[in-house]
Order: sequence, then C-alpha cells, then structure tokens
Amino acid sequence: MKILLMGHPNVGKSVFFNRLTGANVTESNYPGTTVDYTKGWMKIDGKDVELVDVPGTFSLDPKDKAEEVAVAMLHENRGALVISVIDASKIERGLYLALEIIEEGYPLVIALNMRDVAEDKNILIDADKLERILDIPVVSTVAISGEGIKELVSRVKEAKPVDVDDIISNATKAADVGAAGDVP
Amino acid sequence: MKLSAEERWDLIDRISKETVTFGAYRHTLTDAIGELTIKPLTGIPIAIAVLYGFWSLFGSFAGTLCTDGFFVKFFDGYWLPWLQQVFPGQGNWFYVIMVDAGGIESGEFVLSESSFESFGVLTSGLFLAIGVVLPAIFIFYLMLAILEDIGYMPRLAVLIDTMLHRIGLHGYAIVPTILSLGCNVPGVAATRILETKKQRFIMMTLLAIFIPCGAQIGIMEEVVPDLIGWIMLYLIIGYFIFGYILNKIVPGRAPEFLIDVPPYRRPLARNIGKKIYGRVTGFFKVALPFVLLGCVIVGILYQMGVIQWLGGVLAPIFVGWFGVPPETAGPLVAAFLRKDLAVAQLSTIEMTEYQMITSVVLVSIYFPCVATFAMMLKEGWKDLLWALAVLAVVVFVYGGLIHLIGILLGVA
Repeated sequence: MKILLMGHPNVGKSVFFNRLTGANVTESNYPGTTVDYTKGWMKIDGKDVELVDVPGTFSLDPKDKAEEVAVAMLHENRGALVISVIDASKIERGLYLALEIIEEGYPLVIALNMRDVAEDKNILIDADKLERILDIPVVSTVAISGEGIKELVSRVKEAKPVDVDDIISNATKAADVGAAGDVP
Repeated sequence: MKLSAEERWDLIDRISKETVTFGAYRHTLTDAIGELTIKPLTGIPIAIAVLYGFWSLFGSFAGTLCTDGFFVKFFDGYWLPWLQQVFPGQGNWFYVIMVDAGGIESGEFVLSESSFESFGVLTSGLFLAIGVVLPAIFIFYLMLAILEDIGYMPRLAVLIDTMLHRIGLHGYAIVPTILSLGCNVPGVAATRILETKKQRFIMMTLLAIFIPCGAQIGIMEEVVPDLIGWIMLYLIIGYFIFGYILNKIVPGRAPEFLIDVPPYRRPLARNIGKKIYGRVTGFFKVALPFVLLGCVIVGILYQMGVIQWLGGVLAPIFVGWFGVPPETAGPLVAAFLRKDLAVAQLSTIEMTEYQMITSVVLVSIYFPCVATFAMMLKEGWKDLLWALAVLAVVVFVYGGLIHLIGILLGVA
C-alpha cells in the first residue's frame, strides 16, 4: 500500500511526514518549502506502508513546477490512498482539493490540521458532522505537537472511495435535519 | 462523477454551512506585528534592520568569534607547525600537496607561516573547511531557520515585490535568492515555485552568476574583510542590471504572484536543531571532499606547471581586459571545484585592492561550482546551456566594466 500526503502549500504535510516516518525533511513556515517528493516508510498495524510527502498544490490544475510534481505523483499512483491535509482555518479551499481527489476515485482520509490556529481565529469545525457528510474519516490534528496523529494513523484503514453524489445527498440531508432542528 | 468548479464550490458552501462556525474576529498581538512588518512604511525599515542584524551577527559570530578567536590560533599556532615537523619528506611533491607548498626566499625553501598560505590538503584544506566555512554556514543556517520558522520570508517577499518585478521576477524570488546565500544547490531547486519558464530561467541564471554561497561569503569575511562590502555591492548591482536585461530579451511571461502570508509562529527549538544538523551535515558531505580534492588538484597542477602555463596564455585577457594579475589563473581553476577555496587562494596573491575586488567578483561570477552545475543539469540541460552562454557574456562584459570603472576612478 502507498499513501500520499497531499494538500495546499504550508499546511504541514512535511511535519506529518517527519512524524510518521521519522524522516528529516525540511519544515518551514512558508509556502513552497517542499518542491520535490520524498518517500519514506511507516508502520500501520505492523505492516510496512510507503508514505510520500508530495509538494503542496492548490488544485489538480498545476500552475508551477512544484505543483506539476504533485499532480503527476497523484496520477502515477492510481492505487494509492490519500491523506488530505487541510489548514483548518482555511477549510473551504482545502475541501476543494480534497473533493477533486475524491472525484478521481481515490480513497481519502482528511487531517484537519492546525486546529489550534483555527480556534485562535474563532473558527469552530464540527469534525463529526463533516465526517458524516463526506463519509470518510476526518481527524482534527495539531501536527507540530503531535495531537491527533495516532488517531489519524488508526483510521487510515477506514478510507474508501466515495461517490460525490452521495456527498451531495448527505449534505442535503444534513441541511434538512438542521432546518428541522431550528423549529421550536 | 466529476463536478464543475462551480458545482464544487456550491457543494463546499453547503458543507461548510453545516459544519463550520465562524466566531468574531479578534485582532491579536501576532496580527498587529504581522501588519507592522508587511506595510511598507514600517515594514521596509524593519526589513533593513533584520537584514543588517543578520549580516552583523554572521560576521561577528563566524569571523570574529570562531575563526579569528579560535581556529586561526589553533591551526597556525599548533596544527600547522606540528604537521610541518612530523610529516615526513619535507619539500617533496607529496609533502607539498598534503602539508605545505612553502616558498623560496633568497634561494632557500621556507615553510609557510599561516594556514592560508600553505595550501596543503591537511592544513589549508582542513582549516578552510572546519575553521572558516563551518562556523559561517552554522550561523547562517541558524538565523535562516529562525526566519523561516517564524514566517518572515513571505513578508520579505511582499516587501521586495515591486523591485523584483523590474527584472522579470516577483517577490517570491527572494526565497531562492536567500536560500542560495547558504548554498546555490537548494536555491536552484527552489526556483520550482516560480510559475513560468522565463522566470525560472532568469532566476537560475542570476543565482548561478551573482549569488555567492555561505562558504564563499564566510571566506571573504575572513580574508578580505575591508573589501567585502564593495564585492557584494558589485554582485548586487550585477544581479539587477543583468536581470533587467534578461527580462527584456528572454521571451515568455512574468505573471503577478499571489501568496498566502502565513501567521507568525513560535519557532520550535527541536525543528531548528534538526534543520541545522541536516543542512550542515549535507553541506559537508558535498563540500569537504571538494575542498580537499580541490587542494590536491590545484597542488598537482602547480607542480606540473599547468597553472603557470594557463596564466601565461590567459595573461592578455586577465591583464588587458580585466586588469588583474596573471597569477589569478590558479584560483580560477580551483573555483571549478569550490569557490571558497579559490577566494582563499586569491588572498595570498600580491595585488592592489581594486584588483582584489575585481578578481573576487570574477571568481564569484565566472562559473557555478560543480554541485550547482549538477543541480542545474538536473533541472534541464537546455536551460543550463543557455545559462552558460549568458554567463560567458556577463563575465566578459561585467568584468571589463568593473575594470573600466576602476580606470575612471583612477584606482586600476
């Protein structure tokens, strides 16, 4: 099995990579630190799994060479599973890339990273509800301090491909329940 | 099934309505500092202060404290005299290459007095690598790691954006430029964050020609401390002049840049430690063999008389066009392997201050070191060939121009 760490630039993919594989790729606080992919190995349930730190990309429509590397990496690994790392304080555009990858049929797990930064900005995310709508594991994390990493690893095996139609109908259902709940 | 971009945003909107609650925005101290460092009125003075602090810490830690304060005393006081004593076969070719080439004074062979002059692998080679370059790149990478992890780099990029647009780049080009001040190899790799081929080509060419690496700057600080300001000034001016010209003649687009300026974060000691360790060891795996090998090759070439011959052949260009002594041919050969080594060699040649400035600038611009050359080749051989063509023109034109300026100022 192969796992790709994907997400926007500067969301913490390399921090996850170092934590999960014990490797030592450069982590910095600016977008574009990682411009090439790095491979490493991690253990899930006693099995060796290959993990790839992919350069950050905003979408699957590359606009520079680092993004080209990212998109090519995804398309060369049709059977791979993707950990989609999202900056929790910028969740909407993170979901855009996640949905694009879901639509291409890849099994996905979402790491809602930088939960602490989002909370500082007064942004609260209902991860359980997000998980029900997307029908894939969603784990809140703070990668630098290690929070949520274990849970993320333990839930990787629950990742599965989802049909985006199901997500649309789940979202509609959730909205209906929410609306019903508003009635006094 | 696949959605259109519009349908996708629509779905995201519906999902986030159900799952995300945006509270009131609080203006924190971090936000306030963030704004102060990015608005031009306050940001530019702060940037100048940061860069000046960077520069003076670099010089005082690497040059004054480590090299002059400790390594020079150790290598010249103990290591060199000890090796000169115990190493067998004084004066034969192996001794010359490994320990001391010495000199001839009134017909007699005399030993060198400092590790700058001996040019042996075990003396100058080790001294330059450990005594000069190690402290320089250690302090450079420590300060770089702090700036990176705090999140200052993107702010610097925003501040310098307008200036870099004039040379076909944009603010983010400051990232490869600053990385190159440590080592050109990661600098070349970082050009991948630029959007168009034109921008990448301009950036790569300017880095390879005009940006000296940390090792080179460290040696300059040590051997020509009074002239380093002039040398850096010539390099920076060249960076902008030739960037401007390249922007006019290289076809292609130079788009605007959009950047996410991340919030400031507290740097973690663990991450900074890991980064310095990784970069310094990585640097030494590449640098140390080349410095030592460079000493060997230059030593052999001197003994075979190749460098004297080359100096003679190139003398008309060196003396007539660039205005430097023909002996600078030796360092120019060494510079293929490592430029720091070449700068150290230059410092031992008799010449005027202006000739020294010219020759150090020439060593900096005339050819990328082996490691940078290999990295550029990896990024594409066509661009590399073009970059080398540009380089040949730049060396000839700019070298001549510097000579002309010297003549006009009456110093060359």
